[in-house]
Amino acid sequence: MDIIIRIVAIGLITCLATLIVKPVRSDFAIFIAIAGGLVILFLVLGYVSDIFDTFRSIISATGVSSDLYKILIKIIGIGYLIEFAVGVCTDTGNSSLGDKILLGGKIVIMVMALPIVTNILQIIMGLLPS
Amino acid sequence: MGVEIIIKIAAIGLLTAIIGQILKQTGREEISTIATLAGLILVIIMVLNLIGELFTTFNNLFKF
Repeated sequence: MDIIIRIVAIGLITCLATLIVKPVRSDFAIFIAIAGGLVILFLVLGYVSDIFDTFRSIISATGVSSDLYKILIKIIGIGYLIEFAVGVCTDTGNSSLGDKILLGGKIVIMVMALPIVTNILQIIMGLLPS
Repeated sequence: MGVEIIIKIAAIGLLTAIIGQILKQTGREEISTIATLAGLILVIIMVLNLIGELFTTFNNLFKF
C-alpha cells in the first residue's frame, strides 16, 4: 500500500512540475516528464524479480523446459522497454518514430518467439500417427 | 533516487530561464545563450544517467 501512494505522489509532482516549467521553458518540461516516468519505473522494477521468481518455481514444478521460460521473460522485458521508448517518443511529438520503434519491437519479439512456434509444431508432429 | 531528481530538473529549468532573462536584459546575448545551453546539457546528462541506469537494471532483471 505504501508503494502505490509513492507512485501516485511522484506522478502528481511530475505533472505539477511540468505544468510550472512548461510556460517558461517547454524543452525542460519533456525532460521532467521522462525523469518522472523513469523514477516510477525504478520504484516498480524491484517487484518484477519477485514475480519472476514465483513464475520460475511454478515452471520448474510443471517440468516444462526452462529455455521456453527464458524466452518468455525476455519477451516481457522487450515489451516493457519498447513501451517506455514509444511513450517518450510520443511525448516529444515524434509519434511516427514511436511507431517505428514499435514495429522493430514487434519484429524482434516475433524472431525471439520462433523457437516456441517450432517447439509446438514438433509436439504436434509427434502426436500425429506416422 | 526519487522525487528529488524531478524537483532538481524543474529547478534547473526555472533557474536557467531566469538567468537567461537577466543576461538578456543586461545586453549579454551570447552569454545568455551559453547559460541556457549549459542548463540544457546538465539536464540531458542527468536524464541520460537515469536511462543508462534503466538499461543496466533491465539487463540484470531479464538476463537469466
